[in-house]
Amino acid sequence: MKRNHKATLEFGGGGSGYGVGGSGNSSSVVVKGECSTMSSAKAKMWGEEHEAGGMDELLGALGYKVRSSDMADVAQKLEELEMVMGTAQEDGISHLACDTVHYDPTDLYGWVQRMLTELNNSPNDPTEFFGNHQIPNIDFENQSPVFNDDSEYDLRAIPGMAAYPQIEPDSESSQKRVRSSSVGSDSIPVLPPSPSASNVSESTRPVVLDDSQEAGVRLVHTLMACAEAVQQNNLKLADALVKHVGVLATSQAGAMRKVATYFAQALARRIYRIYPDEALDSSFSDMLHMHFYESSPYLKFAHFTANQAILEAFATANRVHVIDFGLKQGMQWPALIQALALRSGGPPKFRLTGIGPPQPDNTDALQQVGWKLAQLAETIGVQFEFRGYVCNSLADLDPTHLETRPGEAVAVNSVLELHRTLARPGAVEKVLSTIKAIKPQIVTIVEQEANHNGLVFLDRFSEALHYYSSLFDSLEGSAAGLTPPSQDLIMSELYLGRQICNVVACEESERVERHETLAQWRTRMVSAGFDPVRLGSNAFKQASMLLALFAGGEGYRVEESNGCLMLGWHTRPLIATSAWKIPATES
Amino acid sequence: MVQPEEQEKRPKFSINDHLDILIEILKRLDGPSLGVAACVCRLWCALIRNDDSLWEHICFRHVSVPPPTSVRPVVAALGGYKRLYMGCVRPMLSRLGDSERVRKRVWTQHEVVELSLSLFCVDSYERLGGSGRLGGDASASSLKFLCKPVNV
Repeated sequence: MKRNHKATLEFGGGGSGYGVGGSGNSSSVVVKGECSTMSSAKAKMWGEEHEAGGMDELLGALGYKVRSSDMADVAQKLEELEMVMGTAQEDGISHLACDTVHYDPTDLYGWVQRMLTELNNSPNDPTEFFGNHQIPNIDFENQSPVFNDDSEYDLRAIPGMAAYPQIEPDSESSQKRVRSSSVGSDSIPVLPPSPSASNVSESTRPVVLDDSQEAGVRLVHTLMACAEAVQQNNLKLADALVKHVGVLATSQAGAMRKVATYFAQALARRIYRIYPDEALDSSFSDMLHMHFYESSPYLKFAHFTANQAILEAFATANRVHVIDFGLKQGMQWPALIQALALRSGGPPKFRLTGIGPPQPDNTDALQQVGWKLAQLAETIGVQFEFRGYVCNSLADLDPTHLETRPGEAVAVNSVLELHRTLARPGAVEKVLSTIKAIKPQIVTIVEQEANHNGLVFLDRFSEALHYYSSLFDSLEGSAAGLTPPSQDLIMSELYLGRQICNVVACEESERVERHETLAQWRTRMVSAGFDPVRLGSNAFKQASMLLALFAGGEGYRVEESNGCLMLGWHTRPLIATSAWKIPATES
Repeated sequence: MVQPEEQEKRPKFSINDHLDILIEILKRLDGPSLGVAACVCRLWCALIRNDDSLWEHICFRHVSVPPPTSVRPVVAALGGYKRLYMGCVRPMLSRLGDSERVRKRVWTQHEVVELSLSLFCVDSYERLGGSGRLGGDASASSLKFLCKPVNV
């Protein structure tokens, strides 16, 4: 808790090397024991806190009985209150939305600074700023500033402007202004503009640099509050909040703005029950998929690592058969065909079965892709055979239709497809038993590394918000600030936006983006009877080389986790490849 | 003066008459130098443009183990070594050399060429017919990411 942290910092000079405890009680015990230089009064204070059953003693001094453990709750309720006050439109309390100035009580340092600078600059009407606060007695004859501070809050450096804007309603909206300098603990990386640059260039809105950080935090809080309102079926509040999100989002830039917009749209759909039509032209979704493939390394990573596992499994086979659960444009297979062509000992006979959804216009998309791959294979000199298999859902797959031939080494490959089967009960078990019936040498599975399939809507929402924020950030990083943004970037964001819409707005069998983490998939595969196969160091090396090629790729990280490979952005893994086989005894 | 007499006695030596020697010399140049050499005269230009074995040399220059013989027909079928080098190997090497994070790792040329072969293959696949599926964007290429400006 922040208060305890600040308190122990105070004692830092006196005591020697005691740890800053995580919970209030433990740190107070340590402090009591070791810090002999403390005044007895302070020691008593800590002792009181410890003895009074965990009551917060600062609030206790004001007459409130609040347990330290409940402080988080209190803070949340205060925030909700602020939220409602900010959006209050009803008569009698609408002034709350525009006329109040809220102070962040955790930010003592900033508050004191502001007090002092405001006093220096507007000695004539101090009451305007401080309302009920007592003004300390300061000699106003001497107009020189009380302290010189070169921090970003020294807005007196801006020529020709009052250091703080007068109290007037924000021209953009009726949102209240919050004097808070501390950014919340959210891990969403909002890139704030550098203070010095903003100070000089932003001559009309000197507080913007702070506001965008604040607004970012507010944005996230509003999104979460809206999601919670939706979960509690409080649609009126949710509606108001979703509109507020839209307003707040305009103050952001870059990835945060886009993510917030997509999530707000998805929430709006959920509130108004305008569910998106999933049966869109699949050539459109294929195109979006292609742009995502080209603009970011995730799919390439998936393909290369899966291919490496398949290659190693096929090392000695003369006839190989790959079953691809989601053929799309077949971008994974040219590299595999080429690698097979250059295999020592010559290429095997390569058979590919591509599975895809039915096309609304009855064109045979699978055959077209198969034809292209056949052309490529012919030029390279690999014997190639292709078969397309159309089905609505992987659970409809029948192992007998797949025509496994004896003497063939089989690989099953699923890139971002398996999670869709979780939408219907029993489907994933059926698919896994179908896979086992095929008796493959290797099964490669690539899935998003996130849990978007929890039972509680709010948890799913929060997970998805963090996940897609990281994803959009990475896309933004790779685009390297190209203006206008490339078509690839826009299309990739649209591709992800549709996923967001599905995760947030849809339910039951329509919600197909039921991502689960690697750990969850591992449990599922192991309990279905599969053995894990470690992805070798070749795959790791290739993947890291691939990432190094991406401009702005400094943020990508390849991690190995128990034989599986994960690609992430900074500290957040986003996609995971794993390989599986059937234990020898079962075949 | 000795020179004019010597010039008369010695047969004139023109490198252009000895293409095999010329090629041996050109084989030892790097990519940018080859580009410069291609501007010397039409013969050199034609040689450098059309002789794929020159580019094969550059691709595998620092590879310790000579590539298996099966590589050549594959690369030839996909578009040739020159295309492989200019489109994949060279941008990859420059990108890998630039990045700070990469300097600490050591990737052998062999691994670089392997990966570039795969990317090259994907690119060739995309260039095959059927690009109308990509919304009419015929210039869509999976190698575009190699050509984008590096984020300095």
